[in-house]
Amino acid sequence: MAVLDHRAELNRAGANATGFFGTARFLMRRYPLGAVGAVIVVLFVLTALFAPWLTAYDPTSTNPRASLARPTADHILGADFMGRDMWSRVAYGARISLAVGVGSTFLGCLIGVAVGLTSGYFGGWYDLLIQRLIDIMQALPLLVMALVMAASLGPSLQNTIIAIAIPLVPNVARVIRSNTLSLREMPYVEAARAVGMSELGIAVRHVLPNTLAPLIVLATAQLGAAILTEAALSFLGLGIPEPHPSWGRMLSESAAEYVRTAPWLVIFPGIAISLAVFGTNLLGDALRDYLDPRQRT
Amino acid sequence: MPRTVSPRIFAAAIVVLALVGGPALAQKQGGTLRIYHRDNPPSASVHEEATVSTNLPFMAIYNNLVIYDQTKDVNSVETITPDLAESWSWDATKTKLTFKLRQGVKWHDGKPFTAKDVECTWNKLLGKDADTFRKNPRAIWYQNVKEIALNGDFEATFVLNRPQPALLSMLASGYSPVYPCHVSTRDMRTKPIGTGPFKFVEFKQNEVIRLARNPDYFVKGKPYLDGVEMRIIANRSTRTLAFVAGEFDMTFSQDITIPLLKDMKSQAPNAICEIKPQYVPRNLMVNREKPPFDNAKLREALALAIDRKPFVDILTEGKGDIGGVMLPLPEGLWGMPPEVLKTMTGYGGDIEKNRAEARKIMESLGYSASNPLKVKVSTRDIAIYRDPGVILIDQLKQIYVEGELEVVDTTIWHAKAARKDYTIGMNLTGMSVDDPDPVFYENYACKSERNYTQYCDPAVDKMIDEQSQETDVEKRKKLVWAIEKKLNDDLARPIIYHDRAATCWHPHVKGFVGHQNSIYSNWRFTDVWLDK
Amino acid sequence: MGAYLVRRFFLMLLTLFGMSVLIFVLLRVMPGNISDILFESAGLVNPAEKAKIEKELGLDQPLVVQYSTWISGLLRGDLGYAYVSEKPALDEILPRIPITAKLAVLALFFSIVLGVPLGVISAVKQDTPLDYALRVVSLSGLSLPSFWLALLILMGFVHFLGWIPIYTDKPATIWHELALLSIPAAAVGFRASALIMRLTRSSMLEVLRQDYIRTARAKGASAASVNYDHALRNAVLPVITIIGIEAAFLIGGLIVTETVFNIPGVARFLVEAIRWRDYPIVQNLVMFIAVVVVVVNFLVDMAYVVLDPRIKYED
Repeated sequence: MAVLDHRAELNRAGANATGFFGTARFLMRRYPLGAVGAVIVVLFVLTALFAPWLTAYDPTSTNPRASLARPTADHILGADFMGRDMWSRVAYGARISLAVGVGSTFLGCLIGVAVGLTSGYFGGWYDLLIQRLIDIMQALPLLVMALVMAASLGPSLQNTIIAIAIPLVPNVARVIRSNTLSLREMPYVEAARAVGMSELGIAVRHVLPNTLAPLIVLATAQLGAAILTEAALSFLGLGIPEPHPSWGRMLSESAAEYVRTAPWLVIFPGIAISLAVFGTNLLGDALRDYLDPRQRT
Repeated sequence: MPRTVSPRIFAAAIVVLALVGGPALAQKQGGTLRIYHRDNPPSASVHEEATVSTNLPFMAIYNNLVIYDQTKDVNSVETITPDLAESWSWDATKTKLTFKLRQGVKWHDGKPFTAKDVECTWNKLLGKDADTFRKNPRAIWYQNVKEIALNGDFEATFVLNRPQPALLSMLASGYSPVYPCHVSTRDMRTKPIGTGPFKFVEFKQNEVIRLARNPDYFVKGKPYLDGVEMRIIANRSTRTLAFVAGEFDMTFSQDITIPLLKDMKSQAPNAICEIKPQYVPRNLMVNREKPPFDNAKLREALALAIDRKPFVDILTEGKGDIGGVMLPLPEGLWGMPPEVLKTMTGYGGDIEKNRAEARKIMESLGYSASNPLKVKVSTRDIAIYRDPGVILIDQLKQIYVEGELEVVDTTIWHAKAARKDYTIGMNLTGMSVDDPDPVFYENYACKSERNYTQYCDPAVDKMIDEQSQETDVEKRKKLVWAIEKKLNDDLARPIIYHDRAATCWHPHVKGFVGHQNSIYSNWRFTDVWLDK
Repeated sequence: MGAYLVRRFFLMLLTLFGMSVLIFVLLRVMPGNISDILFESAGLVNPAEKAKIEKELGLDQPLVVQYSTWISGLLRGDLGYAYVSEKPALDEILPRIPITAKLAVLALFFSIVLGVPLGVISAVKQDTPLDYALRVVSLSGLSLPSFWLALLILMGFVHFLGWIPIYTDKPATIWHELALLSIPAAAVGFRASALIMRLTRSSMLEVLRQDYIRTARAKGASAASVNYDHALRNAVLPVITIIGIEAAFLIGGLIVTETVFNIPGVARFLVEAIRWRDYPIVQNLVMFIAVVVVVVNFLVDMAYVVLDPRIKYED
């Protein structure tokens, strides 16, 4: 399971490439869909990072004269009904989607790993308790959970991140725990124990790194799901509030209303969400094929 | 009442009569009118609620003592018609309003209607009945009613502490039905009983409300419809599409905003869409008790910085109206003429000049572009609340105010307002009757429950009482405008603009007349019929 | 096995108990209660009226008392009265369950019918353009915001057929009703099918590499019969796994779909009840969903035992 050794992985997969570009070319040929996904994700991240340099307007500044303006040289993706530039909103929206996706996945994984690792490693009553908590959380639909959380915490970016992160915890914890359970009995863990290393030290030093592969697979899958959950929350009237340019909000509020008179309000945020999620999903699939040994051909 | 009917309204009334009431068109009996409803009404008890979500589906179950004419498009003293009362009269002191009641009327459960029911209803509103209302949002309407005196089974008199000519106007509103004595307030919320043209059939939460024709209705031959079905569709996109697809005959009251109208027109070109004022002005709540707006100079700067035109231009494509608290002209009966309106702070003159002045005030208080005043603009997370908030923040940038929108969950919005836990709030206030009494008492009187900002000035209360007793309309208008000016100067909930929106129906719906100065009183459906 | 079942049963009860505490606490942590909502449209709250409502509904009682009142009622089959409609909560919840159940079963049906064959084909044709195309299609199902997909479907129907497939409680015919349920079910099923397809594909790949398939091939069985007969039987497990995982997830997906297609099922009702802080509805409905999810997961585990002789539960 020592999947962190990329070189060995590559060799096993049949690559005799050397150097960064050689490796990249090999991976691209081996996982063409994953490569497409990677390109989309990179573009998504770049847009988010460089939004202020890529746009000419403040995404929140209104302008009566530009209300529902069609796409032109001035507003390349048109403007919404308050006259706000759509390209600015889509570009800045990438920041929010990225923040929600990465933020909630990171937070969810962090808590999930801590819970799963300790639960699997220490076992006993603690494990039983944690397992019941996870059972409870999994019996409640994710969206319902996020909905209650979002309503309790109030609408804001950070609360939306928390609301989406919490329901991820049981998924992560469960995978990490089962991994930890099998790792606990590995000879090198026994060895570390024999040398007198502390239990916590063993967990962090030896067990944690070896659960990274499934974690990465899980995290990429959750990234897209988190972006979609934010969109669904926005649709239900929770999620990131105005005037922040959230894609989910933009799409849900203009979806059918302006579809004829101003289709650009519907099309562009819709494409943005779908593409970003599609990209992370493609990348996630490729990563899973690459990291999950059962899949290897 | 020495009030003259304006020729314009008169002409409109004639046209409407010719269209609807004229013998040229033979009304057809039968059919079910299908309207979509926008949300789940909190209950079926009109007296306990303050939303058109309850009025629209349930008003037709009840009768009032008097009612605004359902075939005319304006609410005024001249359009008040008999309902359960056959006639009414004021005594010489103008403190006793006596109604002669219709005989032989039966409640939907077969029990006879008598003056006792009138007494019961207003005793509940006055808090004198053992079975009180759970909520009583319009108690203040009747603060001046001393008692309901009965004379036999078919005469009831409202005894007042002082003259209040507006009482009749309030009694004619869709908000003033007569309830049966023998049905508990709880049952009225869930399965209401009335005397009206339609009987209550069912109310499935979040799903559907159904009414059926009352065959024993006291107006012979009416209503024309067999029933009314209102399916509740919370999602706006779905319900507009459903209307376009012909799943419904009519939209919810003013559900089609001006920016949406174009889309509707292109999808359903035959639909009839009437744009009317909503009388739900968008206004600001400014916290006068906490820094920074406890400073009168800062409030003045705020008043000067607001440019109302862009709000109207963006949010209503220029169709909305700028005015005071009372519904603006031409539809509003108490609106300020332009020459009066422009004398109010922030309403006249050059906006750039105003803002320069505002900036000067701000600079004198130590603010500048590099040292802006940071404020939170709180509002509910609903587009009609939020959108003006976004524009306001954009405008405040001009006077060194850096605003941040704070959206608040509906559930805690009122509690927050009550605690005065806000700096600036963007708010919507629905006005149910186009008369200064309900509008001012509900929203600005010291002890009113609907006075969100708890603005309380005994001098203003006195001015409100004074106009309330005035029987001369022109004199009363002057008093009303003076109050408007005072409220505006005090920044007591400054009005940003009055909205307009459209109600649409397919051409086979005949005989529906929407009122132009209230959205709460035209849902009896007595004269509506389907040409299918 | 018997002891395992007993243990399992008690753990289920424990989960349900924990769930009841969790939802009870979460609801009380949420800001505002029913009386705040009731006054939402009526302006500033009269404190006396508010206190009266809270007393009437027992909201002034200590939380422990409120909790035990609820649970003891629940055990007696008395769910209390809904705050908003003032009708028995059971009468509000019960009629809505079959609507959502029909939708969920249909959605599951669509997702299996779509997901399993595509997964098998994709695995058999691994790394061919067909495989890539199928994976892209299935992934796109996972990438569209569900409300957007649902709205696009609605708009398509209105635009091309002049008809809108939204729920009515009085459908004209059984076919009408079936159509009204199938369309939203297909929208939900499309999404779930992507998950089923991916899992079927990967477990098929695993199975195809195993010895007995090679043996069967060597014995001269035709490629097609080997692929679809032997392999498919082994692909049943992932489908069942997904059903287990998806049971809770599906209800989440139904919230949005029920909203767009205006279906008065339990999922949307739950959201509305949360918004209204209608505790009796939310608490009891969440418990109902939890029971369904827990039981489904239990049945899924049992199905493993029946279908896969390699799995045995020891105590």
